[in-house]
Amino acid sequence: MVTDQMRLDFYKQMVRIRTYEELIKRDYHADKTPAWDIGAGLIPGEMHLSAGQEPVAVGLCANLRDSDAITAPHRPHHLALAKGVDMKAMTAEIFGRASGLSHGKGGHMHLFDPSQHFSCSGIIAEGLPVAVGQAMAFSRRKTENIAVGVAGEGATNQGAFHEALNLAAEWKLPVVFVIEDNDWAISVPKKVSTSVRDNSLRAAAYGIPGARIEGNDVEKIYEATKHAVDQARAGGGPTLLEIHTVRLWGHFEGDAQAYRGAELTAAEAMDPIPLYETRLTAANILNKTSVASIKLEAGKEVEAAIAFAKSSPEPLASDTYQHVFA
Amino acid sequence: MSQTIEFPHLSKDESAEGILATWFVKSGEQVKAKQVIAEVMVDKVSLDVEAPIDGTITLLVQEEASVRQGTPIARID
Amino acid sequence: MTTATLKSEAGTRRLTTAKAISEAIAQEMRANQDVFVMGEDVGAYGGIFGSTGGLFDEFGASRIIDTPISETGFIGAGIGAAVEGMRPIVELMFVDFFGVCMDQIYNHMAKIHYESGGNVKVPMVLMMAAGGGYSDGAQHSQCLWATFAHMPGMKIVAPSNPYDAKGLMISAIRDDNPVLFMFHKGVMGLPWMAKNPRSIGPVPEDPYVVPIGKAAIAHEGSDVTVVSISLSVQHCLDVAEGLEGKISVEVIDLRTIAPLDRDAILASVSKTGRLVIVDEDYKSFGLSGEIVATITDKDPKLLKAPVQRVCHPDVPIPYSRVLEYEALPTREKIQAAIHTVMKA
Repeated sequence: MVTDQMRLDFYKQMVRIRTYEELIKRDYHADKTPAWDIGAGLIPGEMHLSAGQEPVAVGLCANLRDSDAITAPHRPHHLALAKGVDMKAMTAEIFGRASGLSHGKGGHMHLFDPSQHFSCSGIIAEGLPVAVGQAMAFSRRKTENIAVGVAGEGATNQGAFHEALNLAAEWKLPVVFVIEDNDWAISVPKKVSTSVRDNSLRAAAYGIPGARIEGNDVEKIYEATKHAVDQARAGGGPTLLEIHTVRLWGHFEGDAQAYRGAELTAAEAMDPIPLYETRLTAANILNKTSVASIKLEAGKEVEAAIAFAKSSPEPLASDTYQHVFA
Repeated sequence: MSQTIEFPHLSKDESAEGILATWFVKSGEQVKAKQVIAEVMVDKVSLDVEAPIDGTITLLVQEEASVRQGTPIARID
Repeated sequence: MTTATLKSEAGTRRLTTAKAISEAIAQEMRANQDVFVMGEDVGAYGGIFGSTGGLFDEFGASRIIDTPISETGFIGAGIGAAVEGMRPIVELMFVDFFGVCMDQIYNHMAKIHYESGGNVKVPMVLMMAAGGGYSDGAQHSQCLWATFAHMPGMKIVAPSNPYDAKGLMISAIRDDNPVLFMFHKGVMGLPWMAKNPRSIGPVPEDPYVVPIGKAAIAHEGSDVTVVSISLSVQHCLDVAEGLEGKISVEVIDLRTIAPLDRDAILASVSKTGRLVIVDEDYKSFGLSGEIVATITDKDPKLLKAPVQRVCHPDVPIPYSRVLEYEALPTREKIQAAIHTVMKA
């Protein structure tokens, strides 16, 4: 049952994430001019932003406890923020500072927060078996916790996806598999890469329940993930959910997306945040003033996190040799 | 009191030959009851052989020798 | 303590290397509920090469887990259980199979601690069978420890005898880091494979540790240093004992590949000035080159003669026995290398 308070909270969280992604995008590109150089600037390297996919993170994480685990893919910011990872420490990590989550050792694709049992990896699908293992530990210790393995639709063709589902099903573990279907694996669309139109059909191959959620609607996502999470927590085993969402920007920052053609325009029209804003305004849960206020607050929080990061010291060169072993 | 240890019956086929794969002890050593003294094998199935009693062991077959099941392989005095 | 001292311990019962490994695992499992075993055929079968013999009978299916043929899946699951505080022992049946699951091993198991800035630990043992000499062909006979040693973040041990096998397994289980426990099939003392008598030896009954990262002087000597690992150590000892009275051979059993005990290597070569390396892994871009670099990084003048490397050549491992033994580092080749380095 989604209450009005929950709706408002969903909207706030999605705006918070979008604001974050927009400002990171700004700072990522700011000092890579005039000729774009991926290694230059305050945020070097690859950057995979989640604009358009906020509903998945917010709807899912509303059902999770701090002590539940998530393994996320190379596009992790929305999931990290929705899960409760500290924004300042996360931002400092993205800026590579000593005050970052991993003291600058991990970067944007390797965000680890043990207090939230949150981790992510740059290798497609490889977080899924790890989520299975976390579920094993929770189950063996007879806790109520569950694990969630999140991956993109391209990951469903990787061996690790199939092995993880089979193991989770065979051992009836408290894990939920969430596939974010944004239609594109970099430049390869799902329709030429995947043998089934709907990945939730693959659940049948492993004897577990599967469902596909259309519409990129945060409330539908909340309900569907709640059902799967509750089932896992009660000992009912794993579920596979495929959630159709939209990737508004490139696979990575710097991706010109020439391969998307007209589809990109259509995708932009499906931006979930303005659509939800319209809906909530019509339901009198939002109005122009509250929207402006929410966006202002989000902007302040993100700018403060970025300022914290920018003013944090860099790690020492000698830190390179630390933390290879415990 | 002396006791003979026989090659165990791992196969129903009495004519099957086994192998005394590994001796864990040498002749003249003191062994304790239940101590694993050898590993034997018949048709790829292997088994540990334990000493039945305490005592001094004398080995009657060589390591890696082919042995019919039921053949005495050691004596404990 | 050297392993040579251990041999003369009367009253210590003897085990094969395989049984020593199983006993180590059993003792740690009795002491700590967080230890469990996963892998193919580790249950009732006791492991294809005997590493988990007897464990299923004592601990049952909940702690000795037969897995599907899903290396990426169950090795990744081992990682997940470990990051949540358990201490899994995962078996990869043959080291040669790492190709289907290497990402979990080197990009995840080995890197999570570092990538998390020290905040997350992976206290996991990955054990695997390695080595050839029984005509199992190119894809089932490799050693490959150098391949793993080349990548930071994992410790790698390879015992040559039962005493070290038990002590290293206990150390590996207790270590908070990922440890690769590589057992050469030829040192296991299996009843169905030709074995060197050194694969059976005295093993104390109580639990004990052999430190990871410390080589052992398996045979003391003063004329030439022979550095080796795993099954090859047994061959080196056979040769060294055969040369007693003629050439004084010091055999160093590395016991650990990563971290490499460079001090032990340097101390011995400083004494003898002559070095033979015996390594069943492929010759180039590997462990033997790293041992040479250990000397030359410090002082090339320590060497009175060029180093002799007795290693598997850079060819896939052939199936036929005559071809395989042309490639393997046999006793004859080891002895010839010792003579060569003494003459130079």
